[in-house]
Amino acid sequence: MGIDVGKFLKSPEFEIAITTYRDIFQVEALEYDRFGEEYRKLSAVIIMSREDMKKMGIKTGDRVKLINDHGSIVVEARESKREEPGGIAFMVNSPWSSALVSDDTGGKGIPEFKNITARISLTKNDISSLENLIFNSGEVEKNER
Amino acid sequence: MITCTGCSLLCDDIDVVIENHRIKEVRNACRRGAAKLKGCRNRLRPSIDQTPADIDTSIKRAALILKNARSPMLYGWSNSTCEAQSNGIKLAKKLNAIIDDTSSFCQGLLIEKVLKKKFRACSLDDVKNKADVLVYWGSDAQDSQPRHLSRFSYFPRGESRQRGYEEDRIAIAIDVRESNTAKICKGHFYRIPLKGDREFILSLTGALSGKVPKHDAKRILELADIMKKAEFGAIFVGIGLTYSIKDDVDILVALGDMLPNFHILPMVGHYNMRGFNEALFKETGFVNRVRFDSTAVHENKYAIVEALKQKSIDALLVTGSDPLSCLPGSMISYLASIPVICIDPCVTLTSKISKITIPSAVSGIESGGSAVRMDGKVIELSGIVENNYLADTEILSRIMEEL
Repeated sequence: MGIDVGKFLKSPEFEIAITTYRDIFQVEALEYDRFGEEYRKLSAVIIMSREDMKKMGIKTGDRVKLINDHGSIVVEARESKREEPGGIAFMVNSPWSSALVSDDTGGKGIPEFKNITARISLTKNDISSLENLIFNSGEVEKNER
Repeated sequence: MITCTGCSLLCDDIDVVIENHRIKEVRNACRRGAAKLKGCRNRLRPSIDQTPADIDTSIKRAALILKNARSPMLYGWSNSTCEAQSNGIKLAKKLNAIIDDTSSFCQGLLIEKVLKKKFRACSLDDVKNKADVLVYWGSDAQDSQPRHLSRFSYFPRGESRQRGYEEDRIAIAIDVRESNTAKICKGHFYRIPLKGDREFILSLTGALSGKVPKHDAKRILELADIMKKAEFGAIFVGIGLTYSIKDDVDILVALGDMLPNFHILPMVGHYNMRGFNEALFKETGFVNRVRFDSTAVHENKYAIVEALKQKSIDALLVTGSDPLSCLPGSMISYLASIPVICIDPCVTLTSKISKITIPSAVSGIESGGSAVRMDGKVIELSGIVENNYLADTEILSRIMEEL
């Protein structure tokens, strides 16, 4: 019986800059049921340029872990349908993106919601649930660090 | 016709079909507005410690928590009627509490400038009737205020703009991302790097005074030329620009000063954020982050984000907002450790960790009142669906009576 060496190898991590945006379909899902599947599907996603995905070995539909000093989440990666210059990824504003936002505002009270830096890697873990984000503040994922 | 509370455009041309005390069909509204008007799937129920309770007991317990708190905060307000906001300010004064709203980490910085007349502002009706150059900067109106372009800015005919977007108007987008709004601004989309707004403003102000920009000179000179020739211009400032220049908002004031035919309008998301800012400004001279004592004190430590980070509040009343769905995730644990009173029509992330929940009527649908549009115009809201819920303003009055 062979040993699956691959499962012991850590997926490579890449630095990634993320900015947030609004999506009318996600806002519609939020108004109807913020605990629903549709809202999760439209929120727990990172949109990346084709070049960045290729460079990082990530394909549309892959689950990726995003981690920084403020939190850790698992979301789905998707290739942007637009021409993107690369070097920056996009997440819809939601509790998933907010999990990665620093609460240090230099005393000014405005967090950097649109200027997030994280490390990204492929993962086999489940997409972070909203319950986990609220009740454990992402602690389960943090423990994996 | 009813008014939509989906966003701060407060569209007042909405038709609805009501069936079984619920809006079944919505006409004229955008996707966001229709969703808001049709209502949420899960209505909030009164509870204490996440156990069902009657509403009178919930209100009494809420009053007791606020009365016994050393440093209570009243927060939210951007999805509340003007009447509820006014009552909230009264309650904060009575409790010597801190009061803050979502503008604290949104457009409050710019609304304050507008109310202090640091910007040349105008109404959306002026934009519709007169504007020929429209600049969406860090703003994706198509997804956030979806009828902005169709009702007021790019597409409609106006008194001096009878040929609309085909000939009379130019729409420009300046953004990090090619948003849905940027896609409409064909040929006039300026992509900037993350946090590149300040440098872009400096290049533009340089170009306006005849200097050749170091980067992308041809396009920036072309933009400066369009803006200089505008008869009536408007810069719609989205949260993307506000966040990017939050430490130096005066740079935008300086740009506005160089463009005498331009007007600056902050793009507001929630339907009555500006209403709260105006009410508190009228009362205290500040738009948010105020603590009432013998006088009204404004400090950054009274911002919701700072108060939670410093763990300086020991009770929180939330209405017209769901802070758990938008604050940095690391703040949730402290928020969940203090008694939270949640007044909302729907189950929210915040209601899930609240000690007390008090259901309210959906303002603009189940209860009437008024709200302030993003440009400062007061719009009436009508309660058109029969219901047994208390309006948010009535709940706040009841809490005050119990104190």
